[in-house]
Amino acid sequence: MLTDYPKAIVTKDGTSVLLRPVTEYDEKELNRFFSEIPMNEQWFLRHKLDEPETLHRWIERLDYSRILPIIAEREDDRKIIANLRLHLHEAPCILHVGHLRVMVHPAYRSQKVGSWMILDCIKTAMDMGLEKLIAEFVSGVEDAAINAAIKLDFKHEGVLTDYIKDQNGIYHDLIIMVRNLSSDWSDF
Amino acid sequence: MTKSSSDLQNDDREAPAFSLETDRGSVLIRPKCEPELFENLILDDGLGHFSHYSSIIQKLDSFQKFALRKDGRVSLAIKSPDVVIGYCIGSYPEPDDRWSALGDLMYELAALEISRNFRGLSLAFLLLDQTMKEDFFEDKITYMCGYSWHWDLEGKNLSGGQYRNMMKQLYGKFGFREVYTNEPNIALRPENIMMIRVGARVSTEAQMKFRHLRFGMKPK
Repeated sequence: MLTDYPKAIVTKDGTSVLLRPVTEYDEKELNRFFSEIPMNEQWFLRHKLDEPETLHRWIERLDYSRILPIIAEREDDRKIIANLRLHLHEAPCILHVGHLRVMVHPAYRSQKVGSWMILDCIKTAMDMGLEKLIAEFVSGVEDAAINAAIKLDFKHEGVLTDYIKDQNGIYHDLIIMVRNLSSDWSDF
Repeated sequence: MTKSSSDLQNDDREAPAFSLETDRGSVLIRPKCEPELFENLILDDGLGHFSHYSSIIQKLDSFQKFALRKDGRVSLAIKSPDVVIGYCIGSYPEPDDRWSALGDLMYELAALEISRNFRGLSLAFLLLDQTMKEDFFEDKITYMCGYSWHWDLEGKNLSGGQYRNMMKQLYGKFGFREVYTNEPNIALRPENIMMIRVGARVSTEAQMKFRHLRFGMKPK
């Protein structure tokens, strides 16, 4: 299914954007992308890809069978404007589940780029035969992403109260959302 | 009078009709049928109303309407001598359809269906194969829209995601690939799918116009 990429979308302002998997050649541009994420948001990254050495190691070990990283890049200047990672599992008991994380450059957050990336992830997960997609969001920080996920039929499945601490020591809830992919017959 | 399969064959087309023997009888694959053909045929009872699914075409008149349209195409799978067991229909988009904004560039494969009684014989592949052989398609962006509420998930015993995959594989054999769009019906469900095949003579400019149209931006 990776042969389906790149996939084109057009943002609300008419910018042509391509979605495609990350390759080893994207390190420099990904460094720039993460460096332009506000510091107060970088704090919440579970995998510190905003640190060049961590990103370098991560790129060196790209393995699409474990993590499928998709980027959105402007077609005109190849600037990366969003990044989504679909984490897959090897253990048979959770082979049917994927975890997604998404981050959009601040300048493109009102352009629905994140929504298209999540939709692309849902379709890819379906094509892979996954049955559930799980997304975790920090309450009060990623509310726009939560709203985008709700529009794509993600449901609140749980809350880990005060699970996340920000750089000022303030606690935030972690919202766990699930998108079931194995719906049966049409309900129309 | 019911025509025999030999009467139905006509060599005056790019992909000629041909027949094949199956474990369920002799089947004629006939591309680009003439409008007058349909009155002498009957529909197989595996095409019709079911509890979770209804065929898109339920009357022979509908075939005739498509065949009479400008560049309309109806390809049929006919069980000898006169039973329609599958069909593939192509035409330009309706005037109120978003894609009509690009005029004759866009051509829709509007329906492809095989009777419940004749599945598993590769008839969908053969119908598409015969339909898509024409040079006509090299000047077109040919598209199909798959809506999960039209799919026979019960009859195929598949989930929406599995059916979607089946469509991707089938149409992918003919150079179709999935594209994204905010067209409301396609966007309503993630298993819904729009696939396109870009003809060899379609310009890059026309492709970009179509890309923008997919996201609601009309060509200037």
